[in-house]
Amino acid sequence: MAGTGKVHMRGEEALISVEDLVMEFPAGRRAVVHAVSGISFDILEGETLGLVGESGCGKSTTGRAMMQLPSPTAGSVRFDGVEMTELPKEDLRRTRTRMQMIFQDPISSLNPRRKVKDIVAEGLSIWHNDAGDTAVQKVNEVLDAVGLDPEVVSDRRPHQFSGGQCQRICIARALVLDPKVIICDEPVSALDVSVQAQILNLLEEMKERYGLTLVFIAHDLAVVKNVSDRVVVMYLGKVCEVAGPDALYAHPAHPYTDVLLASIPEPDPDHPVSDRQITGELPSPINPPSGCRFRTRCEKVQDLCSTEEPVLKEIAPDHYVACHFPNEVPVSVNGNGDSS
Amino acid sequence: MESERPLLEVENLRTYFDTPRGILKAVDGVSFSLDKGETIGIVGESGSGKSVLVRSIMNILTSNAIIPDGSEVFFDGKDTRNLSRSEAKHFWGTQMAMIFQDPMTSLNPVKKVGIQITESIRYHLGASKQEAMERALELMIQVGIPEPRKRLKEYPHQLSGGMRQRVTIAIALACNPKLLIADEPTTALDVTVQKQILDLLASLQEELGMAMILITHDLGVVAGRARRIGVMYAGKMVETADTTTLFHHMNHPYTEALFKSIPRVEHQSHTRLDAISGRPPDMVLDLVGCRFAPRCRYAQEQCVTDEPDLFDTGQPDHRQACFYPVGSPENAEALAANQATGITAAGLDLTAAAVS
Repeated sequence: MAGTGKVHMRGEEALISVEDLVMEFPAGRRAVVHAVSGISFDILEGETLGLVGESGCGKSTTGRAMMQLPSPTAGSVRFDGVEMTELPKEDLRRTRTRMQMIFQDPISSLNPRRKVKDIVAEGLSIWHNDAGDTAVQKVNEVLDAVGLDPEVVSDRRPHQFSGGQCQRICIARALVLDPKVIICDEPVSALDVSVQAQILNLLEEMKERYGLTLVFIAHDLAVVKNVSDRVVVMYLGKVCEVAGPDALYAHPAHPYTDVLLASIPEPDPDHPVSDRQITGELPSPINPPSGCRFRTRCEKVQDLCSTEEPVLKEIAPDHYVACHFPNEVPVSVNGNGDSS
Repeated sequence: MESERPLLEVENLRTYFDTPRGILKAVDGVSFSLDKGETIGIVGESGSGKSVLVRSIMNILTSNAIIPDGSEVFFDGKDTRNLSRSEAKHFWGTQMAMIFQDPMTSLNPVKKVGIQITESIRYHLGASKQEAMERALELMIQVGIPEPRKRLKEYPHQLSGGMRQRVTIAIALACNPKLLIADEPTTALDVTVQKQILDLLASLQEELGMAMILITHDLGVVAGRARRIGVMYAGKMVETADTTTLFHHMNHPYTEALFKSIPRVEHQSHTRLDAISGRPPDMVLDLVGCRFAPRCRYAQEQCVTDEPDLFDTGQPDHRQACFYPVGSPENAEALAANQATGITAAGLDLTAAAVS
């Protein structure tokens, strides 16, 4: 099997389990884009799962497939005991109210012609048909929760806000239906570092206040590490490594995780710029490399890597890697609190 | 180095825009200089005026821009603002070149990459088509594009984001400029590609001996790349120093706040970030006092009424503009006083400082 394997799955207790998810898109002339090729992971209630990888690794496609936007080519997505991929259309609509999304570009994901109060209230007006006081109250409550003054912002339109504020509006819109899960697709990539910190803090607060489960998709491991309880590293439609964020940073086992860590710009002039650099380009997902998909850019590559696909295996408690030649990881590491 | 005149001298540069809402003071009195072959990093949030600053240096502003008297930009001893349009045409590209944030929008989508690179070579250097193509091929190799001969015949949409940014760098370097201005060159890219592009810029700079202005909102990006750093806030430089001094003796509260808002990979997960509350001021208004005061944890009465100027800190080449610099006893007193009342002199609530 394909950098897949399921040893890291935690069975019944998970709120969402994604198994053998495959997402393929036609690319014309019978070619097929293998965006996601058989990945599995699960999320416990109240957990934040970080999905990290470069552009084109299939992390956004995975997030959207969980919402059935569109339904995956193959595989299963179970949410709270319900198989999402087999739900009839009407039930799917109903289920989606409990799963919301936040996108990368906050400005283009808001309708520029509508007022903030209408944008945020749209979910309510579709589902509850009560445009009365309770709806207004709920809208004001979520706007207040995301740090916007309802009295000031309600009648304004998106162009009157900065990127960070628009992202707050998107978060309010996602919260208004009291969802269980929010899928955040690169929610801070388009924002300044200072605003990024505000939004990351806000997501943590909202998670606490509303008891949310989050899927956090990003390309920057430093950002993902800050918010996640468990991190899945993806590369070209496959899972490379699954671990707790602190264990992943302290003892990265997959060569690709190494590269991601070395790419983070350190705000410290005494810290030498790492000379580790990923070489080459991401291979085409139309014709992915045989065996391990990372082998074309891996510095540890051996013959075995092109013939046999690595399967996820547990190398330390709750630390899984899909690599034939992973870095040594001390087995005593318990995943949390060992990094200084 | 002392005897030679710097490559670029910017003196009290002010750039205003005439907008329907009033005069917007995007850059309001910025001075700095840059030696040949040196890199300066300019750091600040969106709206701090850093992009307008470099556009003023290049003299590529929109028609509603006003540059009041007293603003001076000298490049290689010449005042760039007195260049006629025809002089300027051969000035851009051969003397100064610029790369932008989004490589997709700065490349022409309907022209092949090769044509876009050779355009400036043929225009500025009068090279023949053949010569220009050969030079373009050299440039493609220099910026690390695989299969350069094939790529020359492709369109921008056929390249990845990182490759496109490499192409814009190749275009910028085509006529060996003395100064390269990189305006957020990696903000639209993945971290892995960001590192590749920054490494590429550093090695090209060393190889070609050009000076560089690197603009970013992330202190992490400039830490290992620039020799000197200028931190901008609301149209002003608030702190300038060489990189090591800046990181070791951060004086201005804004620099400190920018630094603290970066999520650090060596911190445990779920570490709460010290976000800067609030937003930069509206630059159309007449601003009184320190421009950062409304967001500053240390703000005192003086900060609300008086505007601090840049002054020397005593560290070599280190200037900053704060009455209560971070790390000083006055700063500690100011913070203690503010914490005791729970509110700063500028009205920032320290008890709920996280949410704006």
